[in-house]
Amino acid sequence: MTDLIRMEHVSKAYGKIQALKDVDFTVRENEIVGLLGDNGAGKSTLIKVLSGAVPSTSGDIYVRGKKVSIRSTTDAIANGIETIYQDSALVTQLSIARNLFLGREPVKGPRFLNRLDHAAMDAVARDLLKRVGISKNIPPSTPVGSLSGGERQAVAIARAMYFESDLIILDEPTNNLGVAETQGVLRFVRNARKSGHSCIFIAHNIHHVFQVVDRIVVMRGGRVVADDINPKETSVEDVERIITGMTDEELEQALGVNNH
Amino acid sequence: MENRSLIQRFVSKPEFGPLVLLVAEIAVFWSINPDFLSPLNISNTLSFTVELGLIALAMTLLMTAGEFDLSVGSVFGFAPVLMWTLFNSGITSLEVAFVIALAVAALIGLANGLFVTRIKISSFLVTLGMLLVVRGVALFISDGFPQRTWSAGQHWLAHVLVGDFYVGPFRIYMSLFWFIGFALLLGYVLTQTKAGNWIQATGGNPGAARARGVNVNRTKVLLFMLSATMASFAGVISSIRTSAANPNSGAGYELEVIAMVVIGGTALMGGRGTIIGTVLGVFILRVMRNGIVLIGVPGLAYNIFIGAIILGMMTLHSILERRHQAGT
Repeated sequence: MTDLIRMEHVSKAYGKIQALKDVDFTVRENEIVGLLGDNGAGKSTLIKVLSGAVPSTSGDIYVRGKKVSIRSTTDAIANGIETIYQDSALVTQLSIARNLFLGREPVKGPRFLNRLDHAAMDAVARDLLKRVGISKNIPPSTPVGSLSGGERQAVAIARAMYFESDLIILDEPTNNLGVAETQGVLRFVRNARKSGHSCIFIAHNIHHVFQVVDRIVVMRGGRVVADDINPKETSVEDVERIITGMTDEELEQALGVNNH
Repeated sequence: MENRSLIQRFVSKPEFGPLVLLVAEIAVFWSINPDFLSPLNISNTLSFTVELGLIALAMTLLMTAGEFDLSVGSVFGFAPVLMWTLFNSGITSLEVAFVIALAVAALIGLANGLFVTRIKISSFLVTLGMLLVVRGVALFISDGFPQRTWSAGQHWLAHVLVGDFYVGPFRIYMSLFWFIGFALLLGYVLTQTKAGNWIQATGGNPGAARARGVNVNRTKVLLFMLSATMASFAGVISSIRTSAANPNSGAGYELEVIAMVVIGGTALMGGRGTIIGTVLGVFILRVMRNGIVLIGVPGLAYNIFIGAIILGMMTLHSILERRHQAGT
Protein backbone atom coordinates (compact mmCIF):
# COMPACT_ATOMS: atom_id res chain seq x y z
CA MET A 1 0.00 0.00 0.00
CA THR A 2 1.28 3.48 -0.83
CA ASP A 3 1.20 6.39 1.59
CA LEU A 4 -1.85 8.64 1.33
CA ILE A 5 -0.87 11.05 4.10
CA ARG A 6 2.56 11.43 5.63
CA MET A 7 3.39 13.82 8.46
CA GLU A 8 7.11 14.32 9.12
CA HIS A 9 8.73 15.84 12.20
CA VAL A 10 5.52 17.70 13.11
CA SER A 11 5.64 19.69 16.34
CA LYS A 12 3.07 21.93 17.92
CA ALA A 13 3.51 24.18 20.94
CA TYR A 14 0.82 26.10 22.79
CA GLY A 15 2.94 28.71 24.51
CA LYS A 16 5.33 26.74 26.71
CA ILE A 17 3.35 23.53 26.43
CA GLN A 18 4.72 21.18 23.78
CA ALA A 19 1.63 19.26 22.60
CA LEU A 20 3.36 17.45 19.70
CA LYS A 21 7.04 16.55 19.70
CA ASP A 22 8.63 15.64 16.37
CA VAL A 23 5.79 13.36 15.29
CA ASP A 24 5.96 11.11 12.22
CA PHE A 25 2.59 9.70 11.23
CA THR A 26 1.40 7.91 8.11
CA VAL A 27 -1.94 6.75 6.72
CA ARG A 28 -1.81 4.46 3.69
CA GLU A 29 -4.29 4.20 0.85
CA ASN A 30 -7.45 2.31 1.72
CA GLU A 31 -6.44 1.81 5.33
CA ILE A 32 -8.21 2.39 8.64
CA VAL A 33 -5.81 3.57 11.32
CA GLY A 34 -6.80 3.59 14.99
CA LEU A 35 -5.22 6.50 16.86
CA LEU A 36 -5.03 5.80 20.58
CA GLY A 37 -3.63 7.58 23.59
CA ASP A 38 -4.58 8.72 27.05
CA ASN A 39 -5.97 12.20 27.73
CA GLY A 40 -3.30 14.76 26.87
CA ALA A 41 -1.30 12.27 24.76
CA GLY A 42 -1.48 14.60 21.75
CA LYS A 43 -3.91 12.77 19.48
CA SER A 44 -6.44 15.63 19.41
CA THR A 45 -3.68 18.11 18.54
CA LEU A 46 -2.39 15.82 15.80
CA ILE A 47 -5.89 15.66 14.29
CA LYS A 48 -6.34 19.41 14.62
CA VAL A 49 -3.12 20.00 12.71
CA LEU A 50 -4.11 17.54 10.00
CA SER A 51 -7.63 18.95 9.67
CA GLY A 52 -6.43 22.56 9.55
CA ALA A 53 -8.05 23.60 12.82
CA VAL A 54 -4.64 24.70 14.20
CA PRO A 55 -1.36 25.26 12.34
CA SER A 56 1.70 23.21 13.29
CA THR A 57 4.74 24.96 14.74
CA SER A 58 7.09 22.99 12.51
CA GLY A 59 7.18 19.90 10.28
CA ASP A 60 5.78 18.90 6.89
CA ILE A 61 2.61 17.25 5.61
CA TYR A 62 2.54 15.26 2.36
CA VAL A 63 -0.56 14.10 0.48
CA ARG A 64 0.30 11.30 -1.98
CA GLY A 65 3.93 12.34 -1.81
CA LYS A 66 3.25 15.99 -2.57
CA LYS A 67 4.05 18.55 0.13
CA VAL A 68 0.96 20.58 1.09
CA SER A 69 0.22 23.52 3.33
CA ILE A 70 -2.82 23.06 5.58
CA ARG A 71 -3.64 26.31 7.38
CA SER A 72 -7.46 26.05 7.53
CA THR A 73 -10.25 23.49 7.40
CA THR A 74 -10.94 24.64 3.85
CA ASP A 75 -7.32 23.78 2.93
CA ALA A 76 -7.77 20.33 4.47
CA ILE A 77 -11.02 19.68 2.58
CA ALA A 78 -9.37 20.86 -0.65
CA ASN A 79 -6.64 18.28 -0.01
CA GLY A 80 -9.21 15.51 0.45
CA ILE A 81 -9.11 15.44 4.27
CA GLU A 82 -12.48 15.53 5.99
CA THR A 83 -12.86 15.55 9.77
CA ILE A 84 -16.03 14.42 11.42
CA TYR A 85 -16.48 15.62 14.96
CA GLN A 86 -19.40 14.33 16.94
CA ASP A 87 -22.35 16.62 16.05
CA SER A 88 -20.32 19.70 15.21
CA ALA A 89 -20.01 19.08 11.47
CA LEU A 90 -23.75 19.29 10.74
CA VAL A 91 -26.40 21.99 10.85
CA THR A 92 -29.22 20.40 12.81
CA GLN A 93 -31.89 22.75 11.43
CA LEU A 94 -31.15 21.79 7.83
CA SER A 95 -32.33 18.65 6.07
CA ILE A 96 -30.07 15.69 5.34
CA ALA A 97 -29.84 16.64 1.65
CA ARG A 98 -29.05 20.30 2.40
CA ASN A 99 -26.35 19.24 4.88
CA LEU A 100 -24.78 16.81 2.43
CA PHE A 101 -24.34 19.52 -0.17
CA LEU A 102 -23.67 22.51 2.11
CA GLY A 103 -21.09 24.75 0.46
CA ARG A 104 -21.21 22.79 -2.83
CA GLU A 105 -24.90 22.89 -3.68
CA PRO A 106 -25.87 21.85 -7.22
CA VAL A 107 -27.93 24.53 -9.00
CA LYS A 108 -30.14 24.34 -12.05
CA GLY A 109 -31.67 26.75 -14.53
CA PRO A 110 -30.21 30.16 -15.37
CA ARG A 111 -27.17 31.00 -13.25
CA PHE A 112 -28.51 34.25 -11.84
CA LEU A 113 -31.49 32.41 -10.32
CA ASN A 114 -29.04 30.46 -8.14
CA ARG A 115 -31.72 27.81 -7.80
CA LEU A 116 -31.04 24.62 -5.83
CA ASP A 117 -31.48 21.37 -7.73
CA HIS A 118 -33.61 19.70 -5.06
CA ALA A 119 -34.36 16.63 -7.19
CA ALA A 120 -30.68 15.87 -7.81
CA MET A 121 -29.81 16.53 -4.15
CA ASP A 122 -32.55 14.18 -2.92
CA ALA A 123 -31.60 11.43 -5.39
CA VAL A 124 -27.92 11.51 -4.40
CA ALA A 125 -28.81 11.69 -0.70
CA ARG A 126 -31.06 8.62 -0.96
CA ASP A 127 -28.36 6.66 -2.77
CA LEU A 128 -25.64 7.73 -0.32
CA LEU A 129 -27.65 6.80 2.75
CA LYS A 130 -28.10 3.35 1.25
CA ARG A 131 -24.40 3.06 0.39
CA VAL A 132 -23.28 4.11 3.82
CA GLY A 133 -25.47 1.38 5.23
CA ILE A 134 -28.52 3.06 6.76
CA SER A 135 -31.18 0.41 6.38
CA LYS A 136 -34.10 2.53 7.59
CA ASN A 137 -35.96 4.48 4.95
CA ILE A 138 -35.23 8.08 5.99
CA PRO A 139 -36.45 10.79 3.58
CA PRO A 140 -33.62 13.19 2.56
CA SER A 141 -35.83 16.11 3.60
CA THR A 142 -35.64 15.02 7.27
CA PRO A 143 -33.95 17.66 9.46
CA VAL A 144 -30.69 16.35 10.89
CA GLY A 145 -31.86 17.48 14.34
CA SER A 146 -34.40 14.66 14.41
CA LEU A 147 -31.84 11.93 13.62
CA SER A 148 -30.14 9.73 16.22
CA GLY A 149 -26.43 10.18 17.03
CA GLY A 150 -25.44 7.21 14.88
CA GLU A 151 -27.51 8.40 11.92
CA ARG A 152 -25.85 11.82 12.15
CA GLN A 153 -22.45 10.16 11.96
CA ALA A 154 -23.69 8.28 8.91
CA VAL A 155 -24.74 11.52 7.21
CA ALA A 156 -21.32 13.06 7.91
CA ILE A 157 -19.53 9.96 6.60
CA ALA A 158 -21.79 9.87 3.54
CA ARG A 159 -20.89 13.47 2.79
CA ALA A 160 -17.17 12.74 3.02
CA MET A 161 -17.64 9.72 0.72
CA TYR A 162 -19.61 11.66 -1.88
CA PHE A 163 -17.11 14.49 -2.10
CA GLU A 164 -14.32 11.97 -2.61
CA SER A 165 -12.47 12.83 0.57
CA ASP A 166 -9.50 10.47 0.51
CA LEU A 167 -9.07 10.58 4.26
CA ILE A 168 -11.96 10.65 6.70
CA ILE A 169 -10.99 11.47 10.28
CA LEU A 170 -13.52 10.26 12.85
CA ASP A 171 -13.05 11.87 16.24
CA GLU A 172 -14.82 9.83 18.92
CA PRO A 173 -17.62 8.74 16.57
CA THR A 174 -18.99 6.17 19.01
CA ASN A 175 -19.16 8.46 22.06
CA ASN A 176 -22.54 8.43 23.80
CA LEU A 177 -23.94 5.85 21.37
CA GLY A 178 -25.81 2.69 22.31
CA VAL A 179 -24.58 -0.80 21.34
CA ALA A 180 -26.65 -1.09 18.16
CA GLU A 181 -25.84 2.46 17.07
CA THR A 182 -22.12 1.84 17.64
CA GLN A 183 -22.24 -1.27 15.48
CA GLY A 184 -23.96 0.84 12.83
CA VAL A 185 -21.19 3.44 12.87
CA LEU A 186 -18.51 0.72 12.67
CA ARG A 187 -20.35 -0.67 9.64
CA PHE A 188 -20.39 2.80 8.03
CA VAL A 189 -16.61 3.01 8.54
CA ARG A 190 -16.07 -0.41 6.94
CA ASN A 191 -18.27 0.61 4.01
CA ALA A 192 -16.21 3.78 3.58
CA ARG A 193 -13.05 1.64 3.25
CA LYS A 194 -14.83 -0.66 0.81
CA SER A 195 -15.44 2.34 -1.44
CA GLY A 196 -11.74 3.19 -1.39
CA HIS A 197 -11.42 5.71 1.44
CA SER A 198 -8.90 5.78 4.26
CA CYS A 199 -9.89 6.62 7.82
CA ILE A 200 -8.34 7.68 11.09
CA PHE A 201 -10.47 6.36 13.91
CA ILE A 202 -10.13 7.86 17.36
CA ALA A 203 -12.06 6.38 20.27
CA HIS A 204 -11.62 5.98 23.98
CA ASN A 205 -13.19 2.56 23.79
CA ILE A 206 -10.31 0.34 22.59
CA HIS A 207 -12.71 -2.53 21.81
CA HIS A 208 -14.45 -0.41 19.19
CA VAL A 209 -11.08 0.43 17.64
CA PHE A 210 -10.06 -3.24 17.55
CA GLN A 211 -13.24 -4.19 15.69
CA VAL A 212 -12.63 -1.96 12.72
CA VAL A 213 -9.02 -0.85 12.19
CA ASP A 214 -6.15 -2.33 10.15
CA ARG A 215 -3.38 -0.74 12.21
CA ILE A 216 -3.08 0.98 15.56
CA VAL A 217 -0.89 3.99 16.35
CA VAL A 218 -0.35 4.92 20.00
CA MET A 219 0.65 8.35 21.29
CA ARG A 220 1.98 9.29 24.70
CA GLY A 221 3.33 12.61 25.96
CA GLY A 222 3.06 14.27 22.55
CA ARG A 223 5.05 11.54 20.76
CA VAL A 224 4.17 8.49 18.69
CA VAL A 225 5.35 5.53 20.80
CA ALA A 226 4.08 2.69 18.56
CA ASP A 227 2.89 2.96 15.00
CA ASP A 228 2.51 -0.51 13.58
CA ILE A 229 0.35 -2.50 15.94
CA ASN A 230 -1.65 -5.19 14.19
CA PRO A 231 -4.95 -5.60 16.08
CA LYS A 232 -5.20 -9.21 14.94
CA GLU A 233 -1.93 -10.15 16.59
CA THR A 234 -2.06 -7.96 19.69
CA SER A 235 -4.28 -8.08 22.75
CA VAL A 236 -6.28 -5.17 24.13
CA GLU A 237 -4.25 -5.47 27.36
CA ASP A 238 -0.97 -5.09 25.52
CA VAL A 239 -2.21 -1.95 23.81
CA GLU A 240 -3.42 -0.57 27.14
CA ARG A 241 0.09 -1.11 28.53
CA ILE A 242 1.59 0.83 25.63
CA ILE A 243 -0.94 3.64 26.07
CA THR A 244 -0.20 4.06 29.76
CA GLY A 245 3.50 3.16 29.57
CA MET A 246 3.12 1.01 32.65
CA THR A 247 4.54 -2.44 33.39
CA ASP A 248 2.16 -5.37 33.92
CA GLU A 249 2.29 -4.97 37.68
CA GLU A 250 1.82 -1.20 37.60
CA LEU A 251 -1.12 -1.56 35.23
CA GLU A 252 -2.77 -4.21 37.38
CA GLN A 253 -2.31 -2.05 40.42
CA ALA A 254 -3.73 0.99 38.68
CA LEU A 255 -6.70 -0.99 37.43
CA GLY A 256 -7.18 -2.65 40.80
CA VAL A 257 -6.97 -6.10 39.24
CA ASN A 258 -6.38 -9.04 41.56
CA ASN A 259 -5.40 -12.27 39.84
CA HIS A 260 -5.39 -14.34 43.00
CA MET B 1 -53.85 7.57 6.06
CA GLU B 2 -52.23 9.70 3.36
CA ASN B 3 -54.68 12.53 4.15
CA ARG B 4 -53.96 12.29 7.82
CA SER B 5 -50.24 12.60 7.26
CA LEU B 6 -50.85 15.60 4.99
CA ILE B 7 -52.85 17.30 7.74
CA GLN B 8 -50.21 16.36 10.30
CA ARG B 9 -47.51 17.84 8.13
CA PHE B 10 -49.51 21.05 7.71
CA VAL B 11 -50.09 21.33 11.45
CA SER B 12 -46.42 20.76 12.24
CA LYS B 13 -45.33 23.65 9.96
CA PRO B 14 -44.04 26.67 11.89
CA GLU B 15 -46.51 28.86 9.97
CA PHE B 16 -49.56 26.95 11.23
CA GLY B 17 -49.74 28.64 14.67
CA PRO B 18 -49.51 32.21 13.27
CA LEU B 19 -52.10 31.37 10.58
CA VAL B 20 -54.61 30.14 13.17
CA LEU B 21 -53.96 33.20 15.30
CA LEU B 22 -54.49 35.60 12.39
CA VAL B 23 -57.72 33.91 11.30
CA ALA B 24 -59.01 33.91 14.89
CA GLU B 25 -58.06 37.56 15.31
CA ILE B 26 -59.88 38.60 12.13
CA ALA B 27 -62.95 36.53 13.10
CA VAL B 28 -63.14 38.09 16.57
CA PHE B 29 -62.78 41.69 15.35
CA TRP B 30 -65.23 41.12 12.53
CA SER B 31 -67.84 39.58 14.81
CA ILE B 32 -67.60 42.54 17.20
CA ASN B 33 -67.52 45.21 14.50
CA PRO B 34 -68.51 44.21 10.93
CA ASP B 35 -66.87 47.44 9.65
CA PHE B 36 -63.56 45.75 10.37
CA LEU B 37 -63.77 44.06 6.96
CA SER B 38 -65.09 47.13 5.14
CA PRO B 39 -63.15 48.11 1.98
CA LEU B 40 -62.10 51.39 3.61
CA ASN B 41 -60.63 49.72 6.66
CA ILE B 42 -58.92 46.99 4.63
CA SER B 43 -57.36 49.63 2.35
CA ASN B 44 -56.14 51.70 5.31
CA THR B 45 -54.69 48.69 7.12
CA LEU B 46 -52.88 47.48 4.01
CA SER B 47 -51.34 50.90 3.34
CA PHE B 48 -49.44 51.22 6.59
CA THR B 49 -48.89 47.52 7.18
CA VAL B 50 -46.51 47.02 4.33
CA GLU B 51 -44.03 49.69 5.39
CA LEU B 52 -43.08 47.84 8.57
CA GLY B 53 -43.54 44.61 6.62
CA LEU B 54 -40.71 45.49 4.24
CA ILE B 55 -38.29 45.82 7.16
CA ALA B 56 -39.60 42.60 8.69
CA LEU B 57 -38.87 40.67 5.46
CA ALA B 58 -35.19 41.67 5.49
CA MET B 59 -35.00 41.13 9.27
CA THR B 60 -36.23 37.55 8.74
CA LEU B 61 -33.16 36.72 6.66
CA LEU B 62 -30.84 38.47 9.09
CA MET B 63 -32.34 36.68 12.09
CA THR B 64 -32.19 33.35 10.27
CA ALA B 65 -28.45 34.00 9.95
CA GLY B 66 -28.32 34.42 13.74
CA GLU B 67 -28.12 38.22 14.06
CA PHE B 68 -30.56 41.06 14.49
CA ASP B 69 -30.63 44.78 13.82
CA LEU B 70 -31.93 47.30 16.36
CA SER B 71 -31.01 50.29 14.18
CA VAL B 72 -33.76 49.76 11.55
CA GLY B 73 -36.19 52.19 13.24
CA SER B 74 -33.56 54.93 13.24
CA VAL B 75 -32.62 54.27 9.61
CA PHE B 76 -36.35 54.37 8.77
CA GLY B 77 -36.43 57.91 10.19
CA PHE B 78 -33.00 59.04 8.98
CA ALA B 79 -33.07 58.02 5.29
CA PRO B 80 -36.06 60.18 4.27
CA VAL B 81 -34.72 63.12 6.29
CA LEU B 82 -31.46 62.85 4.35
CA MET B 83 -33.24 62.44 1.03
CA TRP B 84 -35.61 65.39 1.49
CA THR B 85 -32.91 67.64 2.98
CA LEU B 86 -30.80 67.05 -0.14
CA PHE B 87 -33.76 67.66 -2.44
CA ASN B 88 -35.39 70.59 -0.63
CA SER B 89 -32.09 72.46 -0.38
CA GLY B 90 -31.67 72.09 -4.13
CA ILE B 91 -28.45 70.06 -3.94
CA THR B 92 -29.67 67.18 -6.09
CA SER B 93 -32.67 65.90 -7.96
CA LEU B 94 -35.18 63.69 -6.17
CA GLU B 95 -33.94 60.56 -7.97
CA VAL B 96 -30.31 61.15 -6.96
CA ALA B 97 -31.33 61.99 -3.38
CA PHE B 98 -33.29 58.73 -3.26
CA VAL B 99 -30.30 56.71 -4.45
CA ILE B 100 -28.00 58.50 -1.98
CA ALA B 101 -30.40 57.75 0.88
CA LEU B 102 -30.39 54.04 -0.02
CA ALA B 103 -26.61 53.98 -0.48
CA VAL B 104 -25.95 55.68 2.87
CA ALA B 105 -28.28 53.16 4.52
CA ALA B 106 -26.33 50.32 2.87
CA LEU B 107 -23.14 51.82 4.33
CA ILE B 108 -24.75 51.91 7.78
CA GLY B 109 -25.55 48.21 7.31
CA LEU B 110 -21.98 47.59 6.16
CA ALA B 111 -20.66 49.26 9.32
CA ASN B 112 -22.98 47.14 11.48
CA GLY B 113 -21.84 44.00 9.69
CA LEU B 114 -18.14 44.78 9.97
CA PHE B 115 -18.39 45.59 13.68
CA VAL B 116 -20.19 42.28 14.28
CA THR B 117 -18.03 40.04 12.10
CA ARG B 118 -14.58 41.64 12.31
CA ILE B 119 -14.48 43.11 15.80
CA LYS B 120 -16.73 40.35 17.15
CA ILE B 121 -19.12 42.55 19.09
CA SER B 122 -22.64 41.14 19.49
CA SER B 123 -25.19 42.54 17.06
CA PHE B 124 -27.32 43.64 20.03
CA LEU B 125 -24.65 46.10 21.19
CA VAL B 126 -23.47 47.19 17.74
CA THR B 127 -26.93 47.99 16.43
CA LEU B 128 -27.98 49.57 19.74
CA GLY B 129 -25.06 51.96 19.35
CA MET B 130 -25.92 52.54 15.70
CA LEU B 131 -29.57 53.21 16.66
CA LEU B 132 -28.41 56.19 18.75
CA VAL B 133 -25.84 57.44 16.24
CA VAL B 134 -28.27 57.38 13.29
CA ARG B 135 -31.15 58.91 15.24
CA GLY B 136 -28.80 61.58 16.52
CA VAL B 137 -27.63 62.43 13.02
CA ALA B 138 -31.25 62.62 11.78
CA LEU B 139 -32.14 65.06 14.57
CA PHE B 140 -28.95 67.06 14.06
CA ILE B 141 -29.23 67.60 10.31
CA SER B 142 -32.92 68.48 10.54
CA ASP B 143 -32.67 70.55 13.74
CA GLY B 144 -35.38 68.25 14.99
CA PHE B 145 -37.95 69.54 12.52
CA PRO B 146 -39.77 67.44 9.94
CA GLN B 147 -38.79 67.92 6.31
CA ARG B 148 -41.59 68.77 3.89
CA THR B 149 -42.21 66.12 1.27
CA TRP B 150 -45.38 67.37 -0.42
CA SER B 151 -43.15 68.81 -3.15
CA ALA B 152 -42.95 65.22 -4.40
CA GLY B 153 -46.36 66.06 -5.84
CA GLN B 154 -46.72 64.37 -9.17
CA HIS B 155 -43.12 63.20 -9.38
CA TRP B 156 -42.85 59.80 -11.07
CA LEU B 157 -40.85 58.41 -8.13
CA ALA B 158 -43.71 59.20 -5.76
CA HIS B 159 -46.10 57.39 -8.09
CA VAL B 160 -43.88 54.34 -8.37
CA LEU B 161 -43.36 54.14 -4.61
CA VAL B 162 -46.72 55.10 -3.13
CA GLY B 163 -49.10 55.92 -5.98
CA ASP B 164 -52.62 54.64 -5.40
CA PHE B 165 -55.50 53.46 -7.50
CA TYR B 166 -58.88 51.89 -6.98
CA VAL B 167 -59.78 48.27 -7.61
CA GLY B 168 -63.54 48.31 -7.10
CA PRO B 169 -64.07 49.85 -3.67
CA PHE B 170 -60.50 49.09 -2.54
CA ARG B 171 -57.85 51.80 -2.57
CA ILE B 172 -54.58 50.06 -3.32
CA TYR B 173 -51.17 51.66 -2.76
CA MET B 174 -48.15 50.78 -4.90
CA SER B 175 -46.24 49.99 -1.71
CA LEU B 176 -48.39 46.86 -1.42
CA PHE B 177 -46.87 45.58 -4.67
CA TRP B 178 -43.37 46.34 -3.42
CA PHE B 179 -44.17 44.31 -0.32
CA ILE B 180 -45.58 41.38 -2.32
CA GLY B 181 -42.62 41.52 -4.70
CA PHE B 182 -40.02 41.49 -1.94
CA ALA B 183 -41.90 38.78 -0.02
CA LEU B 184 -41.82 36.54 -3.11
CA LEU B 185 -38.20 37.37 -3.88
CA LEU B 186 -36.85 36.88 -0.34
CA GLY B 187 -39.03 33.80 0.20
CA TYR B 188 -37.51 32.35 -2.96
CA VAL B 189 -33.99 33.26 -1.86
CA LEU B 190 -34.45 31.68 1.57
CA THR B 191 -36.02 28.41 0.49
CA GLN B 192 -34.94 27.74 -3.08
CA THR B 193 -31.43 29.07 -3.52
CA LYS B 194 -27.88 28.25 -2.57
CA ALA B 195 -27.72 31.61 -0.77
CA GLY B 196 -30.72 30.58 1.34
CA ASN B 197 -28.97 27.37 2.36
CA TRP B 198 -25.93 29.41 3.39
CA ILE B 199 -28.06 31.86 5.40
CA GLN B 200 -29.70 29.02 7.34
CA ALA B 201 -26.38 27.24 7.92
CA THR B 202 -24.77 30.52 9.05
CA GLY B 203 -27.39 30.89 11.77
CA GLY B 204 -27.69 27.18 12.60
CA ASN B 205 -24.04 26.21 13.02
CA PRO B 206 -21.54 28.83 11.87
CA GLY B 207 -18.57 26.57 12.64
CA ALA B 208 -19.89 23.77 10.44
CA ALA B 209 -20.85 26.23 7.71
CA ARG B 210 -17.38 27.76 7.73
CA ALA B 211 -15.76 24.33 7.55
CA ARG B 212 -17.78 23.61 4.39
CA GLY B 213 -16.47 26.74 2.72
CA VAL B 214 -19.48 28.99 3.41
CA ASN B 215 -18.35 32.58 3.82
CA VAL B 216 -20.22 33.19 7.07
CA ASN B 217 -18.95 36.73 7.61
CA ARG B 218 -19.78 37.93 4.12
CA THR B 219 -23.25 36.40 4.37
CA LYS B 220 -23.89 38.32 7.60
CA VAL B 221 -22.50 41.61 6.30
CA LEU B 222 -24.67 41.44 3.16
CA LEU B 223 -27.76 40.75 5.28
CA PHE B 224 -27.01 43.74 7.55
CA MET B 225 -26.78 45.84 4.39
CA LEU B 226 -30.07 44.44 3.10
CA SER B 227 -31.76 45.13 6.42
CA ALA B 228 -30.63 48.78 6.54
CA THR B 229 -31.40 49.39 2.85
CA MET B 230 -34.88 47.96 3.23
CA ALA B 231 -35.48 50.11 6.33
CA SER B 232 -34.50 53.23 4.38
CA PHE B 233 -36.70 52.21 1.44
CA ALA B 234 -39.65 51.75 3.81
CA GLY B 235 -38.88 55.09 5.47
CA VAL B 236 -38.92 56.92 2.14
CA ILE B 237 -42.24 55.30 1.20
CA SER B 238 -43.71 56.31 4.55
CA SER B 239 -42.45 59.89 4.24
CA ILE B 240 -44.16 60.37 0.87
CA ARG B 241 -47.40 58.74 2.03
CA THR B 242 -47.61 60.89 5.17
CA SER B 243 -46.21 64.02 3.44
CA ALA B 244 -43.53 64.51 6.08
CA ALA B 245 -40.04 63.21 6.84
CA ASN B 246 -39.93 63.32 10.61
CA PRO B 247 -36.51 62.65 12.19
CA ASN B 248 -38.28 60.92 15.07
CA SER B 249 -40.36 58.55 12.94
CA GLY B 250 -39.71 54.84 13.27
CA ALA B 251 -38.85 55.04 16.98
CA GLY B 252 -39.62 51.68 18.54
CA TYR B 253 -40.15 50.01 15.16
CA GLU B 254 -37.13 47.76 15.68
CA LEU B 255 -38.80 45.85 18.50
CA GLU B 256 -42.14 45.65 16.70
CA VAL B 257 -40.39 44.26 13.61
CA ILE B 258 -38.47 41.67 15.64
CA ALA B 259 -41.75 40.71 17.33
CA MET B 260 -43.40 40.25 13.91
CA VAL B 261 -40.59 37.99 12.74
CA VAL B 262 -40.53 35.89 15.90
CA ILE B 263 -44.33 35.56 16.09
CA GLY B 264 -44.18 34.31 12.50
CA GLY B 265 -42.02 31.38 13.52
CA THR B 266 -38.44 32.45 12.77
CA ALA B 267 -36.06 31.29 15.49
CA LEU B 268 -34.67 34.14 17.60
CA MET B 269 -31.28 32.42 17.80
CA GLY B 270 -31.05 31.70 14.07
CA GLY B 271 -30.95 28.65 11.82
CA ARG B 272 -34.62 28.59 10.91
CA GLY B 273 -36.65 31.28 9.19
CA THR B 274 -39.88 31.64 7.28
CA ILE B 275 -40.99 34.49 5.05
CA ILE B 276 -44.58 33.23 4.94
CA GLY B 277 -44.56 33.23 8.74
CA THR B 278 -43.23 36.78 8.81
CA VAL B 279 -45.98 37.96 6.45
CA LEU B 280 -48.48 36.39 8.87
CA GLY B 281 -46.65 37.94 11.85
CA VAL B 282 -46.77 41.38 10.21
CA PHE B 283 -50.53 41.10 9.72
CA ILE B 284 -51.13 39.67 13.20
CA LEU B 285 -49.63 42.73 14.88
CA ARG B 286 -50.99 45.31 12.45
CA VAL B 287 -54.50 43.83 12.43
CA MET B 288 -54.35 43.83 16.22
CA ARG B 289 -53.41 47.51 16.28
CA ASN B 290 -56.22 48.38 13.87
CA GLY B 291 -58.78 46.02 15.40
CA ILE B 292 -58.54 47.07 19.02
CA VAL B 293 -59.07 50.68 18.05
CA LEU B 294 -62.04 49.72 15.87
CA ILE B 295 -63.78 47.73 18.60
CA GLY B 296 -63.34 50.55 21.11
CA VAL B 297 -60.44 49.36 23.23
CA PRO B 298 -58.23 52.36 24.11
CA GLY B 299 -55.28 52.50 21.71
CA LEU B 300 -52.95 52.88 24.66
CA ALA B 301 -53.76 49.28 25.62
CA TYR B 302 -52.22 48.05 22.38
CA ASN B 303 -48.93 46.98 23.95
CA ILE B 304 -50.73 44.78 26.48
CA PHE B 305 -52.14 42.70 23.63
CA ILE B 306 -48.86 42.58 21.71
CA GLY B 307 -46.96 41.44 24.79
CA ALA B 308 -49.57 38.79 25.51
CA ILE B 309 -49.43 37.52 21.92
CA ILE B 310 -45.63 37.25 21.99
CA LEU B 311 -45.74 35.31 25.27
CA GLY B 312 -48.52 33.07 23.95
CA MET B 313 -46.76 32.35 20.66
CA MET B 314 -43.46 31.60 22.35
CA THR B 315 -45.22 29.18 24.71
CA LEU B 316 -46.86 27.48 21.74
CA HIS B 317 -43.53 27.24 19.87
CA SER B 318 -41.82 25.79 22.92
CA ILE B 319 -44.53 23.15 23.41
CA LEU B 320 -44.51 22.16 19.72
CA GLU B 321 -40.71 22.01 19.68
CA ARG B 322 -40.62 19.71 22.70
CA ARG B 323 -43.31 17.47 21.21
CA HIS B 324 -41.37 17.40 17.95
CA GLN B 325 -38.15 16.39 19.68
CA ALA B 326 -39.96 13.72 21.67
CA GLY B 327 -41.08 12.33 18.31
CA THR B 328 -44.81 12.64 18.99
